[in-house]
Amino acid sequence: MTARMIDYSKLETGQELSNQSLILDAKAVGDYVAAVSDDSSPTASNGTPLVPPMAIAALALSAVINALQIPGGTIHASQELGFGGVVRVGASLDCRATVAQNSVRRGWRFLVVNIEATSEGGSVVMDSKSTIMLPE
Amino acid sequence: MEQETIMKVGDALPTIEKTITQQQIERYADAAGDHNPIHLDAAFATGAEFGGATLDGTIAHGMMILASISEMLTVAFGEDWLRSGSLKVRFRGPVYPGESATAFGSVKRVNAVDGANELTCAVGVRKDNGDISISGDAVVKMPVNG
Repeated sequence: MTARMIDYSKLETGQELSNQSLILDAKAVGDYVAAVSDDSSPTASNGTPLVPPMAIAALALSAVINALQIPGGTIHASQELGFGGVVRVGASLDCRATVAQNSVRRGWRFLVVNIEATSEGGSVVMDSKSTIMLPE
Repeated sequence: MEQETIMKVGDALPTIEKTITQQQIERYADAAGDHNPIHLDAAFATGAEFGGATLDGTIAHGMMILASISEMLTVAFGEDWLRSGSLKVRFRGPVYPGESATAFGSVKRVNAVDGANELTCAVGVRKDNGDISISGDAVVKMPVNG
């Protein structure tokens, strides 16, 4: 398979970067929890295991990383997150990522990416804004 | 989830300390699908730039370190954090394998909003050498009647 080269200068505000389902099954969540050594183990009042909110943010961001084919040396500069509801382990979310800003400063390209994760019921359970710096 | 008690301005959040290892960074790269060589390849990472500094080797993913802040907020605020939390942070400096990083926070403002107490907390991650690697604010709404 030939790698597709991305011309980052052509990414426009509002442009969709990815739109895909994120399945938060026990393995994906378990791997994430083990990787960050998260001992908070959120559960609903009825004992249903819940997804740590940062797992949603991190796994949703991975789709963007893949879509952008970010070059080595890219730096994550800042992060905004908002959570809007509990998500049970096993849920599927629709995650849509768009370009919020694209500019060049001091030899770095600053890309701001918005991600919105929506539950099967249609409510937004996470929105985020990631600022990443790509070497120019 | 256990219901938390109402906090007041100046109250500290429970700290969460982690020691970061290269093995853990590799595990995170696989779990989160982020294989940027700045986290995995010492030869590539050494000499790379981060916030005006030159790196001495691989560094942990910012989102991996940020997870400890969210863990702290989950411990402090339970389901309210999952239902209404928001966070705005800057990644200010790298965390290298072998370093310890402690998530910390304190309540800096409490406002009554729509029948809830909206708590704004200063949050961050401090390394064992005192350097701050993440700083910012978190906001959570706690229903007045639980």
